[in-house]
Amino acid sequence: MLKKVRGAYLVEAILLNLLNGISYGMVLFLIASGMSIVMGIMGITNLAHGALYMVGAYVGWTIAVQYDLSFWLAALLGGLGAGLVGFLIERGFLRHLYKQPNEQVLLTFGFVYVLTNLCIWVWGGRFRTQFTDPALAGFVNFAGLSYPAARVEIILIGLVLAAGLWWLQEKTRIGAIVRAGMDDKEMTMGLGINLERVAMLVFFLASFIAGFAGVIGAQLLGVNSMMGTDMLLLALIVIIVGGVGSIQGALFGGILIGVVDALGKAFFPGLAMFTMYLAMIIILLVKPSGLMGREL
Amino acid sequence: MAESRPEPRRWFRHGQLIQFIPLLSAGIVLIVLPVFLPSHLQIVMTKFLIFALFAISFDLIFGYAGLLSLGHAAYFGAGGYTVAVLMLRYDINSFWIGVLLGLFSAALVAALFGLIVLRVSGLYFLLLTFALGQLLYSVAWNWKWLNSPGMQGIAGLSFPDLGFLPVSWNNLNFYYFVLLFFALSYFILRKITNSPFGHALVGIREGEARMQSLGYHTWLYKYLAFVIAGTFAGLAGIFFAYHNRMIAPGHFGVTTSFLPMAMAIIGGSGTLFGPVIGAAMIVFVEYFASIVTPDRWPLILGSIFVLSIMYVRDGIGVYLSRLGKKVSYLWGKH
Repeated sequence: MLKKVRGAYLVEAILLNLLNGISYGMVLFLIASGMSIVMGIMGITNLAHGALYMVGAYVGWTIAVQYDLSFWLAALLGGLGAGLVGFLIERGFLRHLYKQPNEQVLLTFGFVYVLTNLCIWVWGGRFRTQFTDPALAGFVNFAGLSYPAARVEIILIGLVLAAGLWWLQEKTRIGAIVRAGMDDKEMTMGLGINLERVAMLVFFLASFIAGFAGVIGAQLLGVNSMMGTDMLLLALIVIIVGGVGSIQGALFGGILIGVVDALGKAFFPGLAMFTMYLAMIIILLVKPSGLMGREL
Repeated sequence: MAESRPEPRRWFRHGQLIQFIPLLSAGIVLIVLPVFLPSHLQIVMTKFLIFALFAISFDLIFGYAGLLSLGHAAYFGAGGYTVAVLMLRYDINSFWIGVLLGLFSAALVAALFGLIVLRVSGLYFLLLTFALGQLLYSVAWNWKWLNSPGMQGIAGLSFPDLGFLPVSWNNLNFYYFVLLFFALSYFILRKITNSPFGHALVGIREGEARMQSLGYHTWLYKYLAFVIAGTFAGLAGIFFAYHNRMIAPGHFGVTTSFLPMAMAIIGGSGTLFGPVIGAAMIVFVEYFASIVTPDRWPLILGSIFVLSIMYVRDGIGVYLSRLGKKVSYLWGKH
């Protein structure tokens, strides 16, 4: 009898942790997707992507908490704020550094320092707690389980965005241009396509998603000034696992890493982070280019 | 036409005298100056030497072999943690045991990681080295044995015991001790980069396929360079542990890996003196910025990265050496 109860409890615990892992993984997907696209399509290693996430999260915090406006407006403006910063970095600096990965890495890591310090300057170094839409503060009851509504909403947003990005990349004209540019830049430009404008758009979109992810992710993680590097590390892990330049890879890698992290934290609490890195190393040893990566 | 230029006098053209000016000034700065500095600046000078060593070890694989690693701190941390664990867990203070085991563990980690990361190149190499460095970071974070009680990392280290040479350490003689090893390492790395092996590495950087078709076993060259670089990074880590009095998981991580890369690129990669200049820039600017405006220091550091990438593309060290050559040429014309 006791065993049965404990068994049911264990199943529920696993299920809850699985859901926690998936919702966390969706945030990871949101942040990694933009970075992965920029890396795979434009060949730009943008280490400031985590800092863009942080900028978005802080802007969202100002709108939603400080001014007490709508959470969705915060998500939108957070995305636009990060998109603007990303746009400026691309136009002002990265544009001159195409095909120079070493310089890109140093430049964008410089921006991690700059943006982090500016955020501390503007918003202070304090840790800001989680915030969400009041309508999502409750729980959803489903098949005997009650689960936070905000986490359900995060999972839905992640799925919708994944579908949207996949559709954009595989089914639209812009996506076709982008994929063509990835395979053969000179030939695509020779066909009279203004790749620079497409690159600008892609970079803006990726930065926008990073900032949007910052506000969405703030529902779980809050906002703090270490996020610029923390989120960068997580995004890199997801990209390594999923493979560079692939939306499906980022989604799959994000969920996998999220679930591994949640289960690891629940069942091996002494091994925080380690389970995640171990999963990454194992995948790398089996398949160095990631699970769904394009061969570079 | 170059031939129609007036020939500079012979000993100037060969630069036999003029080439000693940078060496001489470097000697004065490194050997004589520290005696007159206050103690806290001697510490900064020591830190500069340690990071200069770290940066030139990085430049062997980055500037010469063309491999961009984001996990070079793995070997730095391995060296530092080895001497720290020896002190904390086994009460072994001997420098000679520490340096032997520290170099051995750094070389071992590099040899192991090299097998994994050199299967790929380019972007995936960057990602893999990053991943392995972070793996060590998380091991150091989680493993109780690698942490002093109640904290992350190992604190309370002291200057090492030299055994047969009883030294009462102060900041100045520790500085000279590091300088000795730095000069030795610089000399060895200079020999390596000037050897056929070093030239082959540059060849691999410029065109690996071409080197392969010339019959070079390029993987082996890269692997050897990787292990050598890791070993010297381990030496830097050993001195850093003694110098800093503590070592933390972060010294395995990406923020530490980033420093030698920044120093090499800012100073001028593909040379040995470039990273040294870069290390001087970063360490001293950090020191002065932390006095003037400690809160804004990261902003200044980040801006230095951005500006040096945008405007001094080849690195400040290379720029200075070009300036020096120009000056010596003009000098020779008189």
